[in-house]
Amino acid sequence: METANFEFASVFAWMRRISLLCLCCALNGPAGAVGTAVGTAIENTAVVSYDLAGTPLTLQSNTTTLAVAERINVAVTLQSPQTPVAPGETGSALLFTVTNTGNGTETFQLSIDSLVAGDDFDPTPAVPEIYFDTDGSGDFNGGDQPYAPGTNDPDLLADESISVFIVNDIPAGVANGQTGRSDLIATSATGTGLPGTVYAGSGDGGLNAVIGATGGEALDTGEYLVSDVLVSAVKSQLVSDPFGGTEPIPGATLTYTIVVNVNNAGTAAASVVRDTIPTFSTYLPNSITLNGGAISDLADTDAGEFDNSGTPAVVVRLGDLTQANNPQTITFQVVID
Amino acid sequence: MKPFLSAILIIFLSAAAAQAQGHLDVQTIVQKEEVIVNDAGESEKRLVAAEVVVPGESVFYTITFTNVSAEPADNVVITNPIAEDLMYIDGSAFGPGMDILFSVDGGETFAAANELTVVEDGEVRGAEAADFTHVRWVMQNDLEAGAQGTARFAAVLE
Repeated sequence: METANFEFASVFAWMRRISLLCLCCALNGPAGAVGTAVGTAIENTAVVSYDLAGTPLTLQSNTTTLAVAERINVAVTLQSPQTPVAPGETGSALLFTVTNTGNGTETFQLSIDSLVAGDDFDPTPAVPEIYFDTDGSGDFNGGDQPYAPGTNDPDLLADESISVFIVNDIPAGVANGQTGRSDLIATSATGTGLPGTVYAGSGDGGLNAVIGATGGEALDTGEYLVSDVLVSAVKSQLVSDPFGGTEPIPGATLTYTIVVNVNNAGTAAASVVRDTIPTFSTYLPNSITLNGGAISDLADTDAGEFDNSGTPAVVVRLGDLTQANNPQTITFQVVID
Repeated sequence: MKPFLSAILIIFLSAAAAQAQGHLDVQTIVQKEEVIVNDAGESEKRLVAAEVVVPGESVFYTITFTNVSAEPADNVVITNPIAEDLMYIDGSAFGPGMDILFSVDGGETFAAANELTVVEDGEVRGAEAADFTHVRWVMQNDLEAGAQGTARFAAVLE
């Protein structure tokens, strides 16, 4: 009896010690790892060797077998940066990925929440409000199929991802610089609950499904920024005639200067300046500059070109502009006919 | 159904082998923790038989060996491989009166945990729990006739 008591005491001391050790390895565990596949059989057999009366002998224990059940886990990750919108804009999309971080095949239900705390306004979910990035472009467009709950819930293999858009309309009354947030939520179709909750027989192959660390549900938050950007472009000209004067006579060169400024907060995305050559004049080849640097006339990898395909024009691409980029100065020259 | 049958068959065969040897009886069990609420309303953990596990869950192996012969057994060594999908939990191996050794080379060589090294990216470093492929318990004394010993370790399912 005394032996038995000692044995129990030591088992519990051992369990307590292991529990602490387990906590450490849970914290140090590899992040994002999907884990051993559902249905894997884990067998264990101990081997004992010993000498009896000088004879070496070997013996195997029985074999224990563990079956690996399904662990349900999911991750939702925002892919879009803070997205600039205008007041009253409709159909503005935020891109997310939904990843099955469990170890079996799982179906996920998707939902949107645009009543998120910590922002200045609530975006209004569009109808439909969730789309798949069907064409894989990363841009929301007409080729993307809407999500219909219960009809095309995504089935994901272990470690498989799918790209999803949530689409909102922006209220008309919002002010420049205000933010609005919107969540994409992915929920396991098998169920949700506290980590460790068991759904008996609901996992792959009829094994149990066990809720993992994420509770069978995950979300991430995207953000819109009202960015009603005011951009100014001021054009001036300088005349230089062939006789050293400033008379606008035939043969005189006109140097045009266009100064572009962003005048408030926000980003003017993919800004392009296109200026047509006046009808009374001819473009002077290789005369385009941007902020003092030359830009070739060819449509190539630099920021601009002379476009002679229709009405002759100078085109300069300034990219995404904010007040930090002020001023952007473009010059080019024409000769009066 | 088939894997289940073959598992039973293996247990049966190894039990038969143990009886044929007639010297030592060796049994392995695998358990996991279960949290129960006791009569006083407190949560407490206990070990229960493990049949199904999920990634991240810990399992606890206990090997019990009994000398059923009339003579003492000496040089008793128990060796247990750590399954590929399991990661040994550092410090969990336990065995009264036994030295505990590990292998990082699939059971070719064994040494104490702090003496083992592995080569990673061309550099030698000290072995960690995740590197261990086998656990070994070496009895310091003879296992007397009728005596019983216990060896344990824990691992987490990757």
